[in-house]
Amino acid sequence: MSVNMNTSKDLAQIRAAAQQLHGAISDAAAKRGGAIKADLEAVGQKAKAVAESAKASIAAQNEAAQKRLKEAVADLEAVQKHAAEAMKNSGQAFQASIRETLLDARASVQKVSEALAAKRSAESTKTRK
Amino acid sequence: MHNYIAVIFDDTGKAYKGLHALWELDGYGDITVHGTTVVHRDDWGQFQIDTKETHPALATAVGVGVGALLGALAGPAGAAVGAAGGAAIGAGAGGVVGLTTDLVRGDTREQARDETAFVLGIGQAAVIADVSEESTAPIDSRMSELGGTVRRRAVSTLRDDAWYGEYVPSRYLYPYEYIPPPYAP
Repeated sequence: MSVNMNTSKDLAQIRAAAQQLHGAISDAAAKRGGAIKADLEAVGQKAKAVAESAKASIAAQNEAAQKRLKEAVADLEAVQKHAAEAMKNSGQAFQASIRETLLDARASVQKVSEALAAKRSAESTKTRK
Repeated sequence: MHNYIAVIFDDTGKAYKGLHALWELDGYGDITVHGTTVVHRDDWGQFQIDTKETHPALATAVGVGVGALLGALAGPAGAAVGAAGGAAIGAGAGGVVGLTTDLVRGDTREQARDETAFVLGIGQAAVIADVSEESTAPIDSRMSELGGTVRRRAVSTLRDDAWYGEYVPSRYLYPYEYIPPPYAP
């Protein structure tokens, strides 16, 4: 039943990077004051790097995976935007930006994960034929 | 098939073994796990969700979302009270999740408690997960080996529930394997 992991490896790696991004934002949200702002700068850079990896992988995917990856890229761009806003904001606006950043990151992992599922499903069908 | 599952275990330690096994199946490529969490019901009938230390507002959101999903997984009647139950369930980092009286009518609260109790008895724990699976066999087989009972609901049917748009359950599940230190292997 196991699928060929080599062909899904690129998407699995992108998902792992998106998972790490979500974890970093979640951990940053627990911090206070200046520490969180320093973390947010790194979050923005990481989100940009994951988005670039996802974009580069799109052409090699099937149609269903491509759709999900494009959505993931949009979510990752939203992570960058909201992380940048959080760095400028304070008080409730800051908290709102952090929440949006985390939700965008969560959505991006979901989309990459669904792209991976689509790819595994296609490979599983091929294996059964 | 894209499904939400609840795997019920006799205790929390077994549930975290089940959670680890789910992510292992993902690692083998047998299934794809999009998100997981573990909920347990204490001796007083209250639900608890183990969360990472994070901002209280985020922890509360986790409780709301997972509470709604738990209601939905209880079945058709559970889905009807899912929104009310979900809105009334809050969470803290490792803290108690319970029903609050100011957010939900008494009759609905009682019904929500009954429905979730049907899924999760006192002292029991459940792995809640969002998964894509070509066959139900890998999860059913592995969870059975670990003493778990699997309940499923298709994501597509959940989307028909009125509250789904407000509470997108996947948002509140960890998109990676998170096991709190007391249960870490």
